[in-house]
Formats: sequence, structure tokens, C-alpha cells
Amino acid sequence: METTGQLLLTVLMGAFLLGVAAFLARVEDWRSYTPLGAGGGAVGESGYGHAEKPAGLIRWFTTVDHKDIGLLYGLYATIAFVVGGLMVMLMRAELTTPATDVLGSATFYNSLLTSHGITMLFLFGTPIIAAFANYLVPLIIGADDMAFPRINAIAFWLLPPAALLIWAGFFPIPEVIPAQTAWTMYTPLSAGVGNGNQMNVGVDLMLLGLHLSGVSATMGAINFIATIFTERAEEVTWANLDIFSWTILTQSGLILFAFPLLGSALVMLLLDRNFATTFFAVEGGGPILWQHLFWFFGHPEVYILVLPPMGIVSYVLPRFSGRKLFGFKFVVYSTLAIGVLSFGVWAHHMFATGIDPRLRASFMAVSLAIAIPSAVKTFNWITTMWNGKLRLTAPMLFCIGFVSNFIIGGVTGVFLASIPVDLVLHDTYYVVGHFHYIVMGAITFAGMAGIYYWFPLVTGRWYQRTLAKAHFWLWMIGTNVTFFAMVLLGYGGMPRRYATFLPQFATLHQIATLGAFMLLVGGVIWVYNIYVSWIEGPHVQSGDPWRLDETSLNTAEWDWFDAKRETSLAATDGGEEVKADGGEVVDGAPADDAADDE
Amino acid sequence: MARIFDRDTLLDLTVNVIPLGIILFFVVAFVLVDPFGGLDFYGRVLQMGLLVFPFVALAILTYVSGKAIAGDEKRSPVFFQGQATMEGAQTRHEAEADIEAADEAAAAATAEAEAEAEADATDDDADPDTTDEE
Ligand code: HEM
Ligand SMILES: [Cu+2]
Repeated sequence: METTGQLLLTVLMGAFLLGVAAFLARVEDWRSYTPLGAGGGAVGESGYGHAEKPAGLIRWFTTVDHKDIGLLYGLYATIAFVVGGLMVMLMRAELTTPATDVLGSATFYNSLLTSHGITMLFLFGTPIIAAFANYLVPLIIGADDMAFPRINAIAFWLLPPAALLIWAGFFPIPEVIPAQTAWTMYTPLSAGVGNGNQMNVGVDLMLLGLHLSGVSATMGAINFIATIFTERAEEVTWANLDIFSWTILTQSGLILFAFPLLGSALVMLLLDRNFATTFFAVEGGGPILWQHLFWFFGHPEVYILVLPPMGIVSYVLPRFSGRKLFGFKFVVYSTLAIGVLSFGVWAHHMFATGIDPRLRASFMAVSLAIAIPSAVKTFNWITTMWNGKLRLTAPMLFCIGFVSNFIIGGVTGVFLASIPVDLVLHDTYYVVGHFHYIVMGAITFAGMAGIYYWFPLVTGRWYQRTLAKAHFWLWMIGTNVTFFAMVLLGYGGMPRRYATFLPQFATLHQIATLGAFMLLVGGVIWVYNIYVSWIEGPHVQSGDPWRLDETSLNTAEWDWFDAKRETSLAATDGGEEVKADGGEVVDGAPADDAADDE
Repeated sequence: MARIFDRDTLLDLTVNVIPLGIILFFVVAFVLVDPFGGLDFYGRVLQMGLLVFPFVALAILTYVSGKAIAGDEKRSPVFFQGQATMEGAQTRHEAEADIEAADEAAAAATAEAEAEAEADATDDDADPDTTDEE
């Protein structure tokens, strides 16, 4: 009975896939693609309304253009960010009272917790960085496209199924429940051992989805490494490579070593769950083995997430300081140092597990050493701004917010790296405060800085600057209210990952929830602003909308933008887009002083 | 080789020498102080290995990247980040020359201004607000 149903499903699926293949073969002339060198140089290549690109949705499903794929990554990351954000809002609502009054079930809270973490790290964090890297790196280093444009497309298209698998437990599918393992997936819980419900197939689907996202990240990383090594323009020597590309290169190196390891560990876990192997069973490799494997991936992963945002800040912040980046080469070398050292600190997440104290000591030592390159960067950003001619535009505000939050996140991290302090604070809200100062306060802020900074480059339009500033201040205050309250909760001894708490923690939890609602409001403003401005924002009036030429701080991607504008202005027979670009006066919109964005 | 690793390059590389120094410090400290002497020897090897491995890896990477970056600096013109492919971009060398020239001009100007200010101050020191400014 059951097998017949499954057979039927398989046949249906096969027929469906064949149909898709046939459809694609019909609508697309695949041979028309000559992705490499098609445009003849970074300048003048492609742009919208490109004659060779099919129109409408088909274009987005078949594109191999690095800019289109970058935009797809951006859209994907935005959706994931909204999903993960709504999940955490439910959790914060739950945490306004000590009992489970709001959601009614601690199990559901645990599911949200797990999914929030995985969504934000793997479906928002990595893809939003890939969005910037895909769009910008080829433009900045003067490459025609990525080295392997089709692998680039495949890497992206692996992500939507990954998301569906990861969220599968939340869909109304009978018998499938969401994983409640937290993002660290510690065994034995995640191995489905015991009387709990984590043997459910929902956990397997989540693990497979995670595996798929790892495959995607690895393919992307190989592509970036190949692109940066082999596709640079002749003038772009190692000495001339910009800091953002350096961080992407380093990040890709980290991905290349870290993600396959996660993939292997996940396969081992799946085998333990479904084929009775004993990799992580007490009588086999032991639960600590999982922790070693997971964190050998996990700590590099946090730097995979933070290095490119550091690159964005190092790239954008000087433009609004009227200065070149102070100590450019310090920043480059310290990026590389972080890359190497991040593989030598993993067990600082395991200080409380009872591993050999001598190993703990070594991990502490390297964790202290890795703080130096991070601190060096911070000093470089501050020195760049020192006595500079600051322009407090929205991207600049987010850069400054990044630096400020990164300092708090970094300092709390250094304390955690000290064994005796960690033994007190481990698994409390202090840790949650620490890493959220970084993942939210720093990484996401840098992402926003990048989005506002390159918004004119991508859309040719301005966002609404008042809304952008409201967004910034809501987030700056909201981040600090939320996560500083968590640091204090941790000092008070509030353990992490609980749906309920003792009444004495109520006030701080309510403050944290208040801050989270500020973040929600800011986020809604952001989505609205980007959406509306993309459609009807005033057009930028020059190829140098940030007026970077005045301080000799212009860069290659804006040069490309300028050239693109000029060609589309010159082409009188162009499409609608072109006409709008030429129509200088747009409803009397104050496009000109938007450039000040003061 | 010696030409690539000149004083400037070595100075740039100090950022990575500091973490190397910290690791080295702990190696020495853990050799001298071993409160867990009663435990097995294997753990001791791992303890040192966990320090030595990152140390060596970082040293190698620093050397290789320093050679690549400083080497390219000597072989071809150096631009500011993101500007190499731009038409008419200033090289770092040119920019530095400009700044030096501007500095010299400014220095000459301030020297003159100071001389004047001093001359003013002698007959006008009743007004501390203006003279304190400098
Ligand atoms: C300045 C360097 C940093 C140091 C020394 C440091 C140290 C630590 C330590 C020791 C822990 C473990 C705390 C515990 O569970 O008891 C920790 C947790 C964490 N850190 Fe950091 N950290 C640093 C920077 C970062 C960065 C840059 C990120 C993110 C990009 C980050 C993300 C995290 C995360 C996600 C966790 C929690 C993992 C979990 O248990 O779920 N940290 N950090
Ligand atoms: Cu870590």
C-alpha cells in the first residue's frame, strides 16, 4: 500500500522533471550563450535590456550573468532574513512572560530557535555575502564575469531546495515535525537517541538541506577563488587587489576547508540516525567527536560570515571619511591571519565539556592571538575616520554602527575566550549577547551599509534617505537594547535556549523584546524603502552619485556604472529603461541633493 | 629576496608578527609551567601541536602573501584599492608626491603665518583668546 503510493510519487516527480527539462529546452537556445568574454571587458558589458537575454521570468531562471545571479542571491537572502526575523519575533513575544503563555508550547519554541539560527546563518548570512561578491567582485577586479558562470548559477539554484528542506518541518506535511536540535545539532539529541521525538524525518530533511546549502557555498567558493586568481585585469596585481575582494578570497578559502567537513559530519550523523552506525554514539566515537567536527567547521564559519562584511566596511567607510583606508596592508594581512588562525580555536566552544585541560589552554592561547588582527582592523577604521571629513550618509552610519557594535561583540568574545570566565558564562545569555552583537550588530549592519551604498549602482535610483536614517537609528538603538539586555541576563545566570525562565529575569527579557520590536519596525521600513525606491525612486543624476571624484576616492564599479549610463543615454533607440534614464527631470524629485544624503 | 622584504614590507607584516608572538609566548609559558604533569604524554604533544601548527601555518601564509604583495608592488604600478582599472587614476606614488608637494607649500605658508603671528602677538598679547588659539 505505502510502497505503491511512493512509487507513484516517484514516477510523477520524474515526469514533472522531464517536463521541466523539455520546457527549458524549448524556450531557451542554450547555444546562444557565450558567457565568457561576451561583453568585451567589464565596461559596457550587459546591463538591463540586454538584447541577448530573454525577457521576463525566463531570464531570471536561465541567467548566468554574475550581476543577475548576485541579485537573485540578494532576493533570496532578503526572503530568508524576513522568515528568520519573523521566527525570532515569535520567540521574543514568548519570552515576555516567564511561562509559555504566548506560544503555549516549549516544543514549538525550540523548533523556532533551531530554524531561526540555521536560517540566519546559512540562508541569510552566506547568501547575502554571495550577493555582494557576485555583483561586485568581477566589476571591481575588471573580470568579464565569474570564471565559471554556469557553476555560479547552479550554486545559487541549489539554495531554494535547501531552504525548503530546512523549513520542511513547518509545512503542513503529516508526520514531519521541525528539528529542535538548535543550530549546533549536538548529539545524542540530534542522533535521535532516547525517548524524544528527534528521530523524526523532519530532522533528516533539515540535515539534508543544510548539506545542500554547504554544497552550494563550496561551489561558490571555488568559483570566487578561480575568478580572483585568474580573471583579474592585468593592472589588478596582488598589490592592487581591493580589500573587499581580499576578504572574499579569504572567505572562500575558509569555505573550501570548512564546509566539506560539515558535509562529512552531517553524512555521518545521517548514517547514525538511519543506518545504525555509531560515529557519535557513546559506545562508538562519542558525542564529543561531533562537537569537535562541528566546531572545526563552526568557528571558521563565524569568520566566513564576518570577513566579507569587514571588507565592505573597509571599502565603504573611507569613501565617506574623505580619506584612503588607513593602513590598507595591515587590513589585508590581518584578514589573512584571521583566515589561518580561525582553524586553530574551535574548542573554545567546548571549554565546559571536560576535555583535557592542556588542550583547553592551547585553544585559549590561539583565541587570544586571533583577537589581535580583529583589533588591528578596528583601530584602522577608527584612524581612517579620525579628523576625516565625515559625511553621515546612510551607508556611513551603518559602517560606524558596525564598528561600534563590533567592539562590544569582540570584547565580550575575548572574555569568553578566557577559560575561567567561560566556565561561568558558558551557555548563558551572555554568549547569545556576544554573538548577536556580531551577527546582527556587525554583519547585518555591514550588509545594510552595502545595500544602501550600492543601491544607486544597481537600480540607478535613490532610496529615501529619511527612511534610511530612521532604519539606522531604530536598529542601532534596538540592537543595543536587545543584546545588552542579553549580556546582563547572562551575568545574572539566565541559561540560553529555554522557552521559560525564573521570574527574576522578566524585566530584562521584556527589555530585550522591546528592542527586538524596534528591530522589527526598522526592518519593515527597510523593506518598504528598498521596494518603493527600486520602482519609483528618483533617478541618479550622474555616474558618480556619491561624488567620490571630489576626493579622488572613486572606484572601478562606479566607473562601470558611469560608462553604462553614458552608453544608454547615447543609444536613442533603446528600450523604456533608456528613456527613463535620459529623462533627467523626474517629477521634480530632489534627485540632486539626494547625493548629499545628509 | 632581501629586496622584496625591505623595511616597509617588514613593517607591514608586524600585524601578523604580534599574534605569532602571542602564540610563542604561550608555547614558552606552557613549557615552563605544566600544572598537569601527571597526565599522559600524548596530551602534552597535542597541546604543543595545537600551538605549533597555527604558528607555522600563519608564518608560511604571511611569508607567501608578503612576497606576492610586496613583489607586485615592486614590479608594477600601485594604485589605491579599487582604482587600478580606472582611466586616469593616480598611482600611489604620484599621490604621495602630490601630498609632499602640498605639505611643503603648506609648511612654507605656516612658517610665514607663524612669523606674522609672533610679530602680532608682541604688540597684542592683551588678548589671550586669539593668541591661545594656536
Ligand atoms: C574577537 C574574537 C572572538 C572571540 C575571542 C570569540 C570567542 C567566543 C567564545 C569563547 C565563544 C564560546 C562561548 C561559549 O559557548 O561558552 C563564542 C561563541 C560564539 N561566537 Fe565568538 N568570538 C569572537 C568573535 C566572533 C565573531 C567574529 C563571530 C561571528 C561572526 C562570533 C560568533 C560566535 C557565535 C555564533 C558563538 C556561539 C556559538 C554557539 O554556541 O551557538 N564570535 N565566541
Ligand atoms: Cu568560536
